[in-house]
Amino acid sequence: MSSTYAACAEHVRRLHSAARQLEVQSRLLQLPPLAGREWFELLERKLLPQMTDDAFLVVAVVGGTNIGKSVIFNHLAGCRASATSPFASGTKHPVCLVPPGFAERHDLPSIFRGFDLHEWSQADAALEDHPEHRLFWRTSDATPSNLLILDTPDIDGDVRVNWERADNIRRCADVLVAVLTQQKYNDAAVKQFFRKAAEEDKAVLIVFNQVLMPDDENFWPIWLRTFCQETGVQPEFVYLAPADRRAAEENRLPFYVGQVSNLPVLSGQVGNLPHETCSLKDDISALHFREIKLRTLRGSLRSVLNPESGLPAYLTEIERRSAEFKSASDLLSTHQLAESKDWPPMPNSVVVQEVRLWWQQQREGWTKKVHNFYNAIGSGMLKPFAMLRNHWQGERTPPLEQYRQREWQTILDTVESVYERLRWFAELGNPLLQPRIEKLLGGKSRVELLELLKTRHDLTDLEYEIRELVGIEMEGFRQDSPQSFQFMKWIDHGAAAVRPVTSVCLFVTGFGPAGHAVHQVAASTALQFAVDIAGGTVSAVAGESAISGAAATSAGFFEARFRRLHARFAAKRASWLARMLKEHLFGDLPDELQMATAVPQSETFQTVRETMGLLQSSL
Amino acid sequence: MADSELAQLELFAEIDELVRRLRDFVEADSTWEPLGHCRAILRRLLGRVETLRIRLEAPLVVATFGGTGVGKSSLVNALVGRDCTRTGRERPTTTLPVLIANPDTNLDSLGLPLPEFELVRIDSPILRDIVVVDCPDPDTSEGETAGSNLARLRKMLPHCDVLLFVSTQQKYRSARVSDELQQAAEGCRLLFVQTHADRDSDIREDWRRQLAEKYAVPDVFFVDSVRALQDQQVGRRPSGDFARLQDLLTSRIASSQRIQVRRANLLDLIHTAIAHCREHVAANLPAIEKLETALETQRQRLHDAMTARLRDELVASQGLWERRLLTAVTERWGVSPFSSILRVYSGLGNLIASATLWRARSSVQMALIGVVQGTRWLSSKQQEREAESSLQRAASSLGLEDDLLRESQLVLSGFLRDAKLTTLSSNSKTVQELRHEAARVEVQFLGDAGQRIDGMVEDVAKRRSGKLIRAWYETLLLSFIGFVLYRVLKSFFYDSMFAEDLRHDPYLSGAFYINAGVIFLLWSTLLVMMFTRRLRCGLQRQVDQLAADLARQRISEGLFPAWEEACRDIHLHCETLDVLATNASSVRDRIATPVQFGAAR
Repeated sequence: MSSTYAACAEHVRRLHSAARQLEVQSRLLQLPPLAGREWFELLERKLLPQMTDDAFLVVAVVGGTNIGKSVIFNHLAGCRASATSPFASGTKHPVCLVPPGFAERHDLPSIFRGFDLHEWSQADAALEDHPEHRLFWRTSDATPSNLLILDTPDIDGDVRVNWERADNIRRCADVLVAVLTQQKYNDAAVKQFFRKAAEEDKAVLIVFNQVLMPDDENFWPIWLRTFCQETGVQPEFVYLAPADRRAAEENRLPFYVGQVSNLPVLSGQVGNLPHETCSLKDDISALHFREIKLRTLRGSLRSVLNPESGLPAYLTEIERRSAEFKSASDLLSTHQLAESKDWPPMPNSVVVQEVRLWWQQQREGWTKKVHNFYNAIGSGMLKPFAMLRNHWQGERTPPLEQYRQREWQTILDTVESVYERLRWFAELGNPLLQPRIEKLLGGKSRVELLELLKTRHDLTDLEYEIRELVGIEMEGFRQDSPQSFQFMKWIDHGAAAVRPVTSVCLFVTGFGPAGHAVHQVAASTALQFAVDIAGGTVSAVAGESAISGAAATSAGFFEARFRRLHARFAAKRASWLARMLKEHLFGDLPDELQMATAVPQSETFQTVRETMGLLQSSL
Repeated sequence: MADSELAQLELFAEIDELVRRLRDFVEADSTWEPLGHCRAILRRLLGRVETLRIRLEAPLVVATFGGTGVGKSSLVNALVGRDCTRTGRERPTTTLPVLIANPDTNLDSLGLPLPEFELVRIDSPILRDIVVVDCPDPDTSEGETAGSNLARLRKMLPHCDVLLFVSTQQKYRSARVSDELQQAAEGCRLLFVQTHADRDSDIREDWRRQLAEKYAVPDVFFVDSVRALQDQQVGRRPSGDFARLQDLLTSRIASSQRIQVRRANLLDLIHTAIAHCREHVAANLPAIEKLETALETQRQRLHDAMTARLRDELVASQGLWERRLLTAVTERWGVSPFSSILRVYSGLGNLIASATLWRARSSVQMALIGVVQGTRWLSSKQQEREAESSLQRAASSLGLEDDLLRESQLVLSGFLRDAKLTTLSSNSKTVQELRHEAARVEVQFLGDAGQRIDGMVEDVAKRRSGKLIRAWYETLLLSFIGFVLYRVLKSFFYDSMFAEDLRHDPYLSGAFYINAGVIFLLWSTLLVMMFTRRLRCGLQRQVDQLAADLARQRISEGLFPAWEEACRDIHLHCETLDVLATNASSVRDRIATPVQFGAAR
């Protein structure tokens, strides 16, 4: 074997494994599987197992139902190796004749990939109905060496699995013995089958069976011409078998050579009258094995590399689909799905309370003692008032709970708008997103999402959240501007000194260091957040302009600080929601889109492409 | 008129009725997509039914059907007894369908696309009551391209009444032919013929087995067309299966059979179409059922929220309970000292209540005040609400918060989408509209709840104001009044006249009356308080009971009556479809189908 041939075989092996790998990688693209694609089946069933040094020919008898395939096969076998039946779709599994010693030298299962190999025991076994693809084989002394002869199921019957089996045998075959009859030579199913064989450059021997001898002599050349024109088959030999049922049953059917002058061109000359009988088997054994082998291998390789139906088309398909995913992904990312404006501000009383708590922890020495003492007195004095108020006005919802309710309303707003957006997407009708989005829009998914959000929202410890944030912010304040902090501390010391006077007033008005300004500030804290689904990011934009505007004047310094605290908190909550939505509504959709988009850039894709180029150049 | 004829007419009337009801069904409208799909199918069907009905009396169209080369044309020639359509050994032979008819058969009534045929007029006994069409094959074309045999065949098939399905040993299991037959057999009688009897083995047994799954196969003819034609041409009568086939087509299809065949075809068509529709609907019905469950769940949620709120408020409004109960008791007791006292107290209370009525905190309290008054108040309240609907309403009077309503709508519109009620789902309501619906639901709920509260008040008042209790309180009150009266009478009649010691003023002083008055006030208040306390005792349990009762109840309409209505509507339509199916199959079973013919099951 030449070195190019060996290199080619290596390329084929690499191509096969890379293609398999690519299929796994591109499963997100939702393409039809490789199995069942003509080019891939050829690669796997023909090129992969047969590109070895030892040339052997696979000869398959193929044709429609009930036209005597098995009769012809038995003739080739020289005995009743395959059962015949007057009823159609008799043969359900292929039967293979193997020359002596072949099975030891070759790995039969790899030659007939996808078939369950059984040793032949009786002729009727191939007629049995069985869901798995079986192949019965027997060693036959009459078989020329390096020749595998197969009987196949039909290609046009109502048992579709037979077609599949016949197709698989066709792919690995080198020589097809096409059995045709007057009734079937122009059937659509038959033509489709042989057209593929012609594309793969198989050597074809045509046997017209059940010919009415004197009457049809003028017709068979016309049949032949029609058949060849329709399918592109260029037969090596043409035989005629007369319609002689008894002879067929007794396996002594005579074959006449159909001689057509200028056969490959088939320009319409009427054939000579067939008179001489011949042996089909001898003709087959006389074939130039190596030539035919190379020819069919090359033909199959050409089919694999066919730009319209082969591997290049598959690669294009991947690229196109991937581009579609990209556009779907772009669609999702340019239209931010979840947007929320006006996140509710945290009630000031809560924030102030937290700030005061933090401040209390910062006090030391006598200041701490004074303040704590007065605070204790103050709260003790206020208690009866609070009780009275509760009695007269009914129990008041704590501010944090009020905030929780308002926040839930905002969450609902957001969820509503997300669904509205999704509906819009569904109506855009992107075929890739459509089914996923329809599922998201369904009632079940909504119930689940709402329930989940509700539970998680109820479980959120808002007090802890705000405390944590206040801690961080105030710490930041102390570190960023120690002077201001020190200044505040002095004021606090001063306040402790005059506490007896001010305490009552302070507690009645209920404000700490930040003062009155916070009222208006927090109320106008508008906040936007957006979820970029495709990019998987969550961004929250606080009302920055409001902060900087206020911070410009020195008087607004604390006000700005306070405002920022609000904004930070709202941003924290908003991004919590965005995260929940991303995780529980969209799930892995964005990631999948991203991954699907990246397939054509993958290494495997490039390997496939390179190997394909190498094979193409060696063709 | 003979009985049989009358029966015939009756059947006709029934078929007419069936068709009329089908038409009604088609014309009704529905927002549900699957039903729309069914209507489109049935509309098409009606078109075909109409042409079949018009030509009920016209000659039957008998057409050949089968793979290429099975001898369709040979069979036609043999049946007619003459060479009138081309036979051949090249495939396919027949490309243009050949229509063979008697010279005096009027072809216009058949509604056939005549330009598509090659027309042959021949006088043959078999053509007396039928026309024969030799069709092209379905299996040489690889797709239904214009001008292909398959396209020509498919155009022909809807016009055929009887199909002669011709096959051979080689072709009887050809997938393409059997796939095509499945389409073609709809609304057709079938005759099965195996040809090439001279050369092929008899495979009828296997063929019949294969056909039996989908078709009723009364008979399979095994014929040698070539020989039969030769026989006829030399003047011999054909024999065997061919003779039977020819006889069937010549003499058995008399005019009465003709109607039977067409009618059977027509009913088959209707039956198949309805069956298909039902399948389609049944496949989509689970989504509707899910929607209904969801609607029910949401309704229950609203109901639970309202019941819980009602319970809380009932428990909280003790003062109102007392007044209601007192009023009920005094009404029962009529005039007596203690009941007058009670009346005075409850009257005072009611006076205060009516003054505060317009500031009543909740509609539950209004329900407590009484159904008549309460409903009036509610309706006025609702008008008020509509008037100021643009204003933000702080909270619902019965716990139907905006959040609850919006959640309901959000979830339900998802289910609506699943159920393919898209036209409905796209117009979701605004919060204002939702509130409006909520108010309607509340009124409905409160109407029911108010009646139950009334019943409960009556019941409690009756049980807690028995004769013994009444006597006890009356006695306690009267004993005080009696004592005061005794003192007054004693001082007036006895002390002033017979007292010996006249140093003291014999009459009771003003201070006595003031004291007596004050003590009376205290005493009666104490009694009334004791009584109302008694009345109120166990009220909590009663209210819980009431709430539990209400929770078991269902509100008849939820927030989205239009959606609920749509679901009911769909079920109604589905039932109509079922009834139509039963009708169609009962008529189909009753009509006499010519036994010699096969048909799709």
